Amino acid sequence: MSATMKLKQGSFLWYLYLDKLYCLLSVRNVKALLEYFHLLDVHHNNTLNDVLFYHFLHHVTSWNRTQIMIVFNMLDWNAMGEIGFDQFYMLVCILLAQQNHLEEQFIFRHSRPVFELLDLDGELRIGAENFHMYNFLFNIKKQDLRELYHDFDITGDRRLNYKEFKLFTIFTMDKYQERQKAEKDKDKGKKDLLKKKRLHHVNVSLKQFLGINVSESRL
Amino acid sequence: MEEKPFKASLGSHGSDKSSPDNDIRNLWTRATLSQPKLNVPRSSVGENSDMEGGGIGRKSRRWYNQKAGRDSDGGWEEWDDGEDKGSFKQEDLNESSLLELELRRASSLGSRLGEDVDSVTDTEMSSSESSLSISKHTPHRAYWMEQQNRLPLPLMELMENEALEILTKALRSYRSGIGRDHFLTKQLQRYIEGLKRRQSKRLHLLVH
Repeated sequence: MSATMKLKQGSFLWYLYLDKLYCLLSVRNVKALLEYFHLLDVHHNNTLNDVLFYHFLHHVTSWNRTQIMIVFNMLDWNAMGEIGFDQFYMLVCILLAQQNHLEEQFIFRHSRPVFELLDLDGELRIGAENFHMYNFLFNIKKQDLRELYHDFDITGDRRLNYKEFKLFTIFTMDKYQERQKAEKDKDKGKKDLLKKKRLHHVNVSLKQFLGINVSESRL
Repeated sequence: MEEKPFKASLGSHGSDKSSPDNDIRNLWTRATLSQPKLNVPRSSVGENSDMEGGGIGRKSRRWYNQKAGRDSDGGWEEWDDGEDKGSFKQEDLNESSLLELELRRASSLGSRLGEDVDSVTDTEMSSSESSLSISKHTPHRAYWMEQQNRLPLPLMELMENEALEILTKALRSYRSGIGRDHFLTKQLQRYIEGLKRRQSKRLHLLVH
């Protein structure tokens, strides 16, 4: 299963965007999304069944059938065999978070609903196998998963309760912000270096020019 | 086409940011029978619908001019070109053509309408003039309020095209899974046909 999902370029979802801070859609985007949902709701139930859901995700994402059905089963939290708009909206936010590399921020901002999604059995605890099954959704690497269970399983039961999970989200958010800062500094360093090189080049050219002029005047 | 500026006996109506005189909506909502012949330049029809609080043209542009905050993916920025502004103007003009059609349909002035229809030339100015004459009798305000709540047409078109592709593939799955004669398959088939009819109708309106 490939971890990096890409939305189909030019598709309707591709044009939507999340608010970077809260990782949610704007009201205007939700209105458009609702219209889109109703277009797909061919049986007028305000839901999408598994077939419609599969073809929708297959059209707009690069996920395979297994991944799509895992997502469907995860979202069908009432076991109705159909997905309502609430779940559809949640899914779109997750897709956009992945598309825009905002996974850490999304999990941090919406830790409770994400926890409830991953808690398949309703035991208020998430095992490592749950996380592993959904790592394609949130792009969590194996190494991070290992660290997660090593560092945050305070109770020692090899499962995370909500508080432990919340700590994990805070930690990954900090790491994400440090990474952003490091990238910014790196870019800034590159720009400064480029500036110095240009200045040096200008100086050299100027000296050469003056050097020629001085020799001509002596003659 | 005459370039006589439109001297409207328009009251001040709130929004001051753009010139109210050139706004197409003023032609529909405030003009009276005593108005001189309207010859608003075609170029100003789409350009100047950027009034505060409404305007399909402005909404369309606002949708597509928003910066998503992402650098390379394009998103809304893709629509933020001069070329696309041209297409939005076309869309605004087409909106006004649709408005004219609806106003005509709504009007109860049969013979007068017939005269107006007879006198309509190819230019939009003639059609706007005839529509003006019946604007007093049509529920324009309700129409504009409805227009302001609608999504932009280019977006609707994109969504419908995509939905059509998805549903066509779903229909194949329905047929192979539950058979052609199942009521759900038939319902989906009817829905797809309805969607295609709506699209071709809109295309037909745009072309003409």
